[in-house]
Amino acid sequence: MRERAVRVGSPAPLVGVISEPDDFQSLKPAVLILNSGLMHHIGTCRLSVKLARSLAHMGLMSIRFDFSSIGDSEPRRGSKTFQESAPLETIEVMDYLNEKRGIKQFILFGLCSGADVAYDTAILDSRVVGIAQIDPYCYRTPRYYLNHYRQKLFDINAWTNFISKKIQLLSKQINKKDEAFFEELTSYRIFPPLNDIAKGLNQLVDRRVRLNIMITGGEYHYNYSNQYRDSLKDKVNFRDLLTLNYYPESGHIITQPKYQKLVVNELTQWIDDMGKVIKE
Amino acid sequence: MEPLYFGSSQRPLYGVYHPAEGSEFRNEAIVFCCPFGQEYMRSHRAYRQLAHSLAKAGFHILRFDYSGTGDSSGDMEDFTALDWLEDIEQAINEIKDMTGTVNISLIGLRLGGLLAGMLSSRQKIHRLVLWDSINSGVDYIKELKFEIVSKKNIVDLDVDNYVDDEGSMFFNGFSFTPRFLKSIEQLSLFENTSCSNTLLQVVSHENQKSDQLKSKLIQHGNFDYIHAACPGDWNYVDEVGGMLLPQPVMRAIVNWLS
Repeated sequence: MRERAVRVGSPAPLVGVISEPDDFQSLKPAVLILNSGLMHHIGTCRLSVKLARSLAHMGLMSIRFDFSSIGDSEPRRGSKTFQESAPLETIEVMDYLNEKRGIKQFILFGLCSGADVAYDTAILDSRVVGIAQIDPYCYRTPRYYLNHYRQKLFDINAWTNFISKKIQLLSKQINKKDEAFFEELTSYRIFPPLNDIAKGLNQLVDRRVRLNIMITGGEYHYNYSNQYRDSLKDKVNFRDLLTLNYYPESGHIITQPKYQKLVVNELTQWIDDMGKVIKE
Repeated sequence: MEPLYFGSSQRPLYGVYHPAEGSEFRNEAIVFCCPFGQEYMRSHRAYRQLAHSLAKAGFHILRFDYSGTGDSSGDMEDFTALDWLEDIEQAINEIKDMTGTVNISLIGLRLGGLLAGMLSSRQKIHRLVLWDSINSGVDYIKELKFEIVSKKNIVDLDVDNYVDDEGSMFFNGFSFTPRFLKSIEQLSLFENTSCSNTLLQVVSHENQKSDQLKSKLIQHGNFDYIHAACPGDWNYVDEVGGMLLPQPVMRAIVNWLS
């Protein structure tokens, strides 16, 4: 395995790192590892690096890169929002790998805002044959509400938390001047209407795009294993294309070592299996 | 801005080189020594902006990841703090080769400050900037262990911080092996910062530790101290990976170096 730092596109190139296996084969799909929020391309707790190296050991090439103005990539001029520019930049990176290495199929992986970009890009570009998403768009169901309120009503911790969060909110208002020193994504994550997502997912299913969905306990819209399927029950027939895992004890940015390993292993195995299926 | 891998082929290090811009030729290159763990994640944007400002002011800049961290090769289990000191030397050699510059300065934040100070006792460093620096490895470990104990019972905290039976420490999603912890215990700015340096200590929050370091470093002939008040909670971790941009400190460093 070897790694190279690359600059992709112009006039302000996107910066990334390609992890290339010793036995590189351009027939296998390459994996694009996308930014999560403002975290640069090493990913949360170095998850993207660990995933890239694990994939390389299975003979799969990947690139982890920064969208413009994130991490090591310079800002680009223009009036596009992040939601508009990020899928186009992802396509630019796919074009680069296609041109330089002859790769024709791609798998996209992203967490949180990266998951959203993976979905948006897959809709736009038919070279995408699979997307792996951690905490993607997800929607509440009647069973979610039942679980949620049943648990809250009788949980003393929930009441304590409610009060302490109100206090925290108050102290945040008092310390508003401190906000000038923090940087968070300026575009807040808004879940599109469920019907729009269902329509997009149906397009992907029709193209036989495979989906690996992982939901963590940090996703507050979610509280039971099969909620993703249930929320789309009458709208999308995933056939054999959906792999769904729920990790209620994992935080959103997967700081726990146990879950870091689990996520890397799950994704590596799924992508490797997918590569084999596509080759066949 | 040029991303690159440098160093030996067995242990390549990832770095980003910012070439000097503008008409002023300073004949000075600066190597950035980063902190570790979430502190590294949280400071990445600040380091990039600082590098950009200093490059505009005519300095060559190289920021890089230590072995086993960021995009550099290997895993944390394979390295100690002594390897990281070698990495800083490697980065110094790289920027000397790239630019032909003789005067090399170091900027170190938190653990990076401790490592930069340690290195200044090994080789000639033109100027040294210690930013919210850790005073010693023992202090650092104590601080992290205190955080582990004090946050143990906070409900809804997305982190799992603990020391396991073998002595490995897990903190905010990153791990320290017993071997690494032992190596870091040997480091201290009180014994090792070279007196030949021109030195700046810059702090975002004054406290007992920063005062202790100040009283030690003030004995140096060429010492400056700046308190640029702004948030400096480097170890805070939130669910969106929010970053810290302490502009007053960054401005103070650029002004002092320029």
